[in-house]
Amino acid sequence: MKKNRQSDHPSISITASQSTRRQVLKSLSAITLASTYPFVVRAQTKAVNIGVILPLSGPNAQFGINSRQGIELVADEINNSGGIKNLGGAKINLVIADSTSTPTMAATVAQRMIAENDCCAILGAFASSLTLAISEVTERRGVPLLTMSYSDQLTGRGFKTVFQVTSKGSAIGKAQLDYAVQLSGNTKVNKVAIMYEDTAFGTSTASGLRAAAKAANIEVVMDEAYPLGIIDVTPLINKLRASKAQIVFPVSYLNDSLLIVRALRQQKINLPIVGGSAGYVIPDFTQALGDYANGVLSICSANYDLDTTLTNKYRARYNAFMVHEALEHAVALDVLVQSIGIAKSTAADAITQILRNTTFTEGWAKTMTNGKVKFDETGLNIYAEPVMVQWQKNELVTVWPKNFAKGKLITRKVM
Amino acid sequence: MAFLQALLDGLMLGGVYAVISIGLTLVFGVVCIVNFAQAEFLMIGMYVAYFVWRYLGIDPIFGSLISFAVVFVMGYFVQQFLIQKVLRAPEVAQIFLTVGILICLENLALICFGSEYRSVQTPYQNEAVEFFGLIISMPYLIAFAVSGVAGGLIWYLLTQTWWGRAVRATAQNPMAAKLMGINTDQMYRIAFGLGVGLTAFGGAIILPYLTVSPTVGSQFGVLMFTVVVLGGLGNIMGAVAGGIGVGIIQSLSGLFLPIQLQNLALFVIFISTLALRPEGLIKKS
Repeated sequence: MKKNRQSDHPSISITASQSTRRQVLKSLSAITLASTYPFVVRAQTKAVNIGVILPLSGPNAQFGINSRQGIELVADEINNSGGIKNLGGAKINLVIADSTSTPTMAATVAQRMIAENDCCAILGAFASSLTLAISEVTERRGVPLLTMSYSDQLTGRGFKTVFQVTSKGSAIGKAQLDYAVQLSGNTKVNKVAIMYEDTAFGTSTASGLRAAAKAANIEVVMDEAYPLGIIDVTPLINKLRASKAQIVFPVSYLNDSLLIVRALRQQKINLPIVGGSAGYVIPDFTQALGDYANGVLSICSANYDLDTTLTNKYRARYNAFMVHEALEHAVALDVLVQSIGIAKSTAADAITQILRNTTFTEGWAKTMTNGKVKFDETGLNIYAEPVMVQWQKNELVTVWPKNFAKGKLITRKVM
Repeated sequence: MAFLQALLDGLMLGGVYAVISIGLTLVFGVVCIVNFAQAEFLMIGMYVAYFVWRYLGIDPIFGSLISFAVVFVMGYFVQQFLIQKVLRAPEVAQIFLTVGILICLENLALICFGSEYRSVQTPYQNEAVEFFGLIISMPYLIAFAVSGVAGGLIWYLLTQTWWGRAVRATAQNPMAAKLMGINTDQMYRIAFGLGVGLTAFGGAIILPYLTVSPTVGSQFGVLMFTVVVLGGLGNIMGAVAGGIGVGIIQSLSGLFLPIQLQNLALFVIFISTLALRPEGLIKKS
C-alpha cells in the first residue's frame, strides 16, 4: 500500500540499505546547516537549543522547507536584536533535523535531540503522522512540543506538553464545509464529495467534513481515501463525475493536489474545488498550475494577509508570500521564546508552565486569527479559527468569514 | 460505460508502465543483473526533461529524446566501470552494487536539485479528448502513443538488425557469441545503456502529468518489478503484457474497491500468478 520501500519491496536487501540512506540524509542536512547557517553551529556559552524536526526530503519536503524558513526568519530576528533579554541576551540555536516522511524516523530524531543536543523544546513536524510520533517522545521526557499539525489526536490524548497553535483537524474540516455552504449563497447544497489522503492529517480533516455534512443534512455522495504516494488519480475523478456532487472537498498534500486539479480541468468538470489546506495553499500550487489555479478555494488555519506588517518580512527575504505553515511555525517559535523569557529559564517544566498559563498578544502571535494565542488545558490554541482563502492572480486572499475577509470571492467558469 | 472508461484509462497507464519496464527487463535479460537502481534512472530522465523544458523551452515529449541520450551515456559508463566488475561476483555483491547506485543517485539528486517538486506546464496538460462519452486525458494519450512508437522501435532494433541479433546472441550464450566475433562486453554496455535510457525516456514522457522530485523513483520501483516479474523476467513481450496488465488491474480495481486498496488487488493477483505460473505470464521462447 504505502510507497515505502521498506514494507513492500521484494528484496530484503533494500531494508538493510534504508538505514544507510537515512544516515546519509542525516549527515547531509548537518553539512547543509554547517555551511549555510554558520550561526547555528557557532558554539555560544549560553545559547538556547531548540529542536526543529521537519520533513526536509520525501513527499512532504516542500512543506518542511517552508516551515524551516518561517522558523529561521524569527530566530534570526531575535538573535539580531540581542537574543533573549531576560536570559542575559542568550542566542537561539536551532537544531534542525530531517524526519523524512517516516514517523519512526521522526521519533528517533526527537529522542536524539533531547538526549544529545540538550534541546529545551521541540518544534515540528508539519505532517500530523510525524508530529504524533514525536509527541510520544516529548511527553515521556516532559519536553514541550509546539506544532501546527492538525490531527485531533495531538491534543486529544490528555498530553501535558503538546501545544497546537492551529485549530484541530475536525474543526478545520467542519469549517471547510460550513464556509463553503455559506459562500454558496442562494444555491442549496445537497450533495458533496470528499476525497482525502489516508494519513493522520487527511483522516482527521475528513472526519470533520463528514460530521459537518451530517449536521447540515447534506448527503456525502463520495467519500474516498487514497494513499499519499498516489500517481494516477483517474479512478478518483471518474468516481467524482459519476457521483453528481455539487462541491468537491479534496484534502491533499502537494503532489496529489496537482494531479487532482489537473484531472478535473482536463475533464472540464465545473465544480467548485474547496481544498483542505496543505497542498492547496502554497506557491508551488499556482506555479505548477498557472491560470488553472485561479478560483480554487481552500480552508486554511491562518493566512499571511490577516496582518502583513510581519509577514512582509518573509516576502522580502524569500520572495514569496508567507505560507501558513511558515507563519504558524514562526508563531510557535515566538511564543516559545517569549515563554523562555518570562520563565527566565530553559527548564522544560518552567517553560511548559508559562505556555499553559499565558495569553500571548505580542510579536508573531498578532498574525494569527483574533491576533492572540492562548493554550487551553489540552494544549489547543483557543483563539485559532480557520479561514477560507482563494487563489486570485497567484496570491492567496482571505475571503471568509466576513470579519477576517480581505477580498471578495471570485467565481470561475470552466468552458 | 464506467467499465469501458476504466479499461481505457488502464490501457493508457499500462502503456507507459510497459515502456519503463522494458528497460528493466532488457537489462536483466542481457546483462543478467537485477538492477534495483532502475527507477532512479527514471528520476534522472524526468529531471533532464524538466531542465530541457525549463531552460530550452522544449516540450518533455521531445525532451525525452535528450533524456534517453543522456541516460544512455550514463548507463554505458556505469556498466563499464561498475556493473562489469561484479558480473562474475556472487549475486549478493550485485544486489549491493545496484542498491548502492540507487542510494547514491537519490542523494546526489537531493544535493543537486533540492527536494522540492518540479512540474512542467504544457498546452495539452489540461486537455482531454472525448468520443462516444469516453474521456481520455491528453497527456496520457500522448504518453501512450509515444510509448507505442518507442516499443516498436526497440522491437525492430532487437529482431531486425544485426546489432539486435548480436545482443540476443549475447543474452543466450555469451561464450558462443564471443566465438562468433561479437564483442560481448560492448554489447553489455550498450544493452545497459539502452535499458536505463528507455526507462529515462519513459520518465520524460510522463512528466507532463506528474511532478519530479529526488524520491519519485520509489513510487515506481516496486511497480516496475511487479510488471517485469508478471511478464517473466528478461522477456520483452512479457514486460509489455505485464505493463498493460498492471495498468488495467489498477484501474479496474478502482471500480469495485476503495482506491486505497488499488495496490492490494494488484499484489493479490501478482502473488497468485507467481504461485500458479512462476515463469511469468508469457513463457520465454
